[in-house]
Parts: sequence; structure tokens; C-alpha cells
Amino acid sequence: MERAYRRLDPKRVVFTALLLAVCLSIPRLTDSYMLRVFNIAWITCLCVLSNYVLLGMCGQNSFAQAGLWGVGAYITANVVMKLGWPPLLALLLAGLGTGLLAFVLGFAFFRLRHYYFTFASVGLMTILNGLFMNWTPFTGGALGISNVPSFSLGSFVVNTEEANYFFIFLIFVIAYLLIKKLYHSPLGRSFMAIRDNEMAANCLGINSLLTKSIAFGITGILCGVAGALYAFLAGYLSYQTFTYQQSTMYLIMVMLGGTSAPSGAVIGTMIISLLQEWVRPLQNYMQFFYGLGIVLLMIVQPEGILGGGRALYEKWHSRKRPASTVAK
Amino acid sequence: MKNGTVAKDRPVLSLSKVSKRFGGVVAANEVTFDLYAGEVFGLIGPNGAGKTTLINLITGVTPADEGEITLQGRNITQLPTHTRAKLGIVRTFQHPRILDRCDVYTNLAVGADLAGRRRVSSRNGREDRLEQLLDLAGLTEINLNDSIDKLSYGQQKLLEVVRAMLSQPLVLLLDEPAAGLNRAEMDHVVKLIKLATQENIAVLLIEHAMDLVMNNCHRVTVLNFGQQIATGTPEEVQSDPEVIRAYLGGAAHAAR
Repeated sequence: MERAYRRLDPKRVVFTALLLAVCLSIPRLTDSYMLRVFNIAWITCLCVLSNYVLLGMCGQNSFAQAGLWGVGAYITANVVMKLGWPPLLALLLAGLGTGLLAFVLGFAFFRLRHYYFTFASVGLMTILNGLFMNWTPFTGGALGISNVPSFSLGSFVVNTEEANYFFIFLIFVIAYLLIKKLYHSPLGRSFMAIRDNEMAANCLGINSLLTKSIAFGITGILCGVAGALYAFLAGYLSYQTFTYQQSTMYLIMVMLGGTSAPSGAVIGTMIISLLQEWVRPLQNYMQFFYGLGIVLLMIVQPEGILGGGRALYEKWHSRKRPASTVAK
Repeated sequence: MKNGTVAKDRPVLSLSKVSKRFGGVVAANEVTFDLYAGEVFGLIGPNGAGKTTLINLITGVTPADEGEITLQGRNITQLPTHTRAKLGIVRTFQHPRILDRCDVYTNLAVGADLAGRRRVSSRNGREDRLEQLLDLAGLTEINLNDSIDKLSYGQQKLLEVVRAMLSQPLVLLLDEPAAGLNRAEMDHVVKLIKLATQENIAVLLIEHAMDLVMNNCHRVTVLNFGQQIATGTPEEVQSDPEVIRAYLGGAAHAAR
């Protein structure tokens, strides 16, 4: 069944073009320090997008994303440095390997009902972080792994901050478009059916266990790719990066932006990533402000910035157009 | 009102001595009946008789204690709910179970998706099919982009029937589709049921609105405390003394 009434809205096209222009000119507008901030932010976007798929679309809450991010990063480092395989292959293996790991774990975890999956994901995060710290042959242990080479394809090497920006942004755009596509696909709809009414979903032929595991698998792919990009960009991996706190931060980002569309994940990530830089002098108080901000947000605008914006838009629109013209 | 003859060569769905107990309560006691393609089979009885439980048993939402359920000769008693749906058993709910954070389109598309999973839908004509069903359901005025909560309760119930029909099922289980609906909406339910029979779908109809049952069902079975007390044509059942005592008499009394 196709959405026959979906037309290309000219306003939307102009808006998207403008947004794209702004994103592509960021390397020209900022110094290399801020560019690094943006690079990390786009990588973070991938992890937060995975939160959109799992929480926003499928209604399942996980605290393991930073762990999966780490798995992707360590796979990349090992494949490139120990096996000497090309970075592109490492990137693919990081995505697929982490995705497969998440899918298999999902199959075990989603036998648990309701919020017990969330508990299991907290356990997974803790175990993964423990492995990162102690499994020296694979992760370098407490010392970590240094000197991960930059991404390269043949003679083309992505070794400057600016080149990294375009490379990471390209991967982000591809992921974003694929998730948009997922939203309009039968698989995406089966995620949403499970989120809204699991029994109805089952009665419509949707296998809960398999579908939720696929959602977690997609989460794994996104985080794994993000991990690979991080490894290429930072060149140094430490267990202290892939922590439970980082997972919590991803959740805060998606809650702030809103879970009703993938753009919410991007909005939330960008605001928090940039805010952290702008209010650096207040760093000691940041945790307090996050906590307070989230509590207030959940009371005032539980749907996040996106939900609030949409409500405002509808209000403004209905005022512009009198109700009588709505009914035929 | 009823549509033509029903081919009784081979049942689509068969229940054989299906039983279910919840503690001391017997919700279904050796329930046995066959459902044929193109037939509307009524399931009536007082509240708490075990009607919805029976739909839950057929769909696998509740596992049966004893007995056997077969679909086109295949034993499905142990299969999970989603597999039964993929084999062609689709239901609606007494209180509509809509996807409340999705728009109207998505709510309908999940039904069509099941047809896709069952590989029974032809790609051409899907739009026509949707249009036809929305027309019969009286929902042509609604905007597919609207959020689902803009629909009234009655519209949501009708939409659930349309969603089930979009999956092109073999067996359609309707749990009180007309409850809480106004007269006009009830007529739309009847139109949808008629289309289902024309398309050779076997329909199991739970309903308290007696005129709807008596005018549209080919056969009716009456359930009381999980026990089948009568099965037959609407006329036979209506004149059965035990049915009058257990259900219809009570209903008539209440109506007065």
C-alpha cells in the first residue's frame, strides 16, 4: 500500500536544501576545535538515532548503546591494526558485527517482558565496559588502543578534521535516509505496532521476539558504524569513553529532541553537544542542570522539542485556517 | 440479507472439543464447531459466557487446555498467535486495539502488510481495495494523514474491521463489531460482513445486537458458562427453549 497522497512539498525542499547548505559550510565557519566538536556530534547522532529506532519506533528502552558503540570501535581497531584489512572493510564489519551481536543478544533479552529488557541492557552495558577494561588482547585493557589509522580508500586518506567532517556527515546522511525509509516500510510499521499495542501486533502476524530483536540489531549496526567512525577520527580508544553515563546521555538527547521522528534525535544531540561547549565554565554544574532540565521537560513537554514544535505549528495552522473549511 | 449458499464440502476452521479453565471457572467446555468459507457463524450468549475467550483460543492469545483447532485440515492448536495470523486467522477486538501514536494510514497499512507477509495480495488494485473498503465502512471522509485519535469510537471500530479485511484473511473473527455504534455505523458493519462472505471469507461473529445476528448469520451457536447449549440456523436457535431461558428470554426481559 503506497501513500498516494504524499507529494513533494516545495517548502520542505527549500528547507532541506538550506539545512544541507548550512551543514556543508560548517567546516568553513568554525575553527578546528569546534569542528572536532561537530564531528563527535554527528557520530553521537548515529547512536542517538539508534535510540530513535529502538525507543521511538519500537518502544524498547536500552542503556547499552555506548557499549555497542565501543564494540564497533574495538572491532575497527583490531581489524585494521591486527589483521591489516582495509578501513572500509573494518567499517562494514564493525556495523555488521555489532548488529549481529545485538540481534543475538536481543533474541535472549526480549524473552523478558515489559521493562526487564531495560534491566538486562544495563547489565549488558556493565559487562561490556568491564570487558573493555580487562580484555587486554582485544581492547588493550586499561591502557586502551592508540594510533588507530585514519580512514582511507585506496590513495584517498581522510586524515584532516575537515575531510573527516564530510566523511562522517556523509555516513550520517545515508543512515538518516535509511531510517526515514524504514519508517515507511512494513518492518518500520511492525516496530510501531509493537510499541503501540503488542497484542494487536501479534494478531496482525507480527512476531514480537523476532521484530524487537531486529530493532536491537539495527541499533547495533548504527552504534557499530558510529564506533568505527570514532576509532578513525580519535585514533585512541579507552574504556573510559564507552560508559554507562554515555548511554544515559544518548537517552537524554533523544528525550530532549523528541521520539516522534528521527529529526528529534538530531535536534537533541546537537543542542546538548553544542551546549556542553558553550557553557564550559559551568561544567561542574552540568549534571545538575541536565537532571533538572529533564525533569522539567518531562513535566512541561514530554514529547520533547519536536512534539512541542509540532503542537505549536498545529495551533498556528488551525488559527490561520478556520475550522469550517476543514470539513467537506 | 444472507448471501447465497455456503459450500459445505470442507470446513476452513474446525474446533474439536476445545476446553479452557481459569481456576474454577470453565470458560470453554468441549466447544465443537466447523466454520465454512463464505459463511457467517454467529456466537451468542450472555456476558461472561466465554465468547471472547473462544476468539482468544482460536487466535492463540490464550492457549487451550484441551481439544484441537484445525485450519484447512492443519492442526494449529500449538502455534503462536502471529503464525496463526499469517495462516489467515484475523480478528478484531471488543474495544478497538488501534495503534494510538500512529496516523490513520499506518493503522490501515499494518493490515495490508499482513497480506504482503501472507503473499496473497496482488500489487495492482491495492488502492482500489482500500477505497472500496473505506467506502463500505463510511470512512471516505477521513484524512489518512490524521492522527488516529481524531476518529470517533465508532470510526475506530470500523477501521479495525477494514484493517482486518485488508489482510485478506481466510477466517475473520469479529468481537462485537457493532457494540457502541450508532445505526448508520451498524449498517456499515453489515456491508463489510457481506463483502467478506462474497469474498469467501469465513466469518465468526460475536454480537449482542440480535437483529444483526439473526439477519446475517447462516448458523448460530449459543454459549452459556462455556457450554454450547444450541447450534443451528437462527430460526432454530431462537425457538430453542433452553436458549430462551438462558439468554434470549433474559435479554427480552431486560429490554422491557
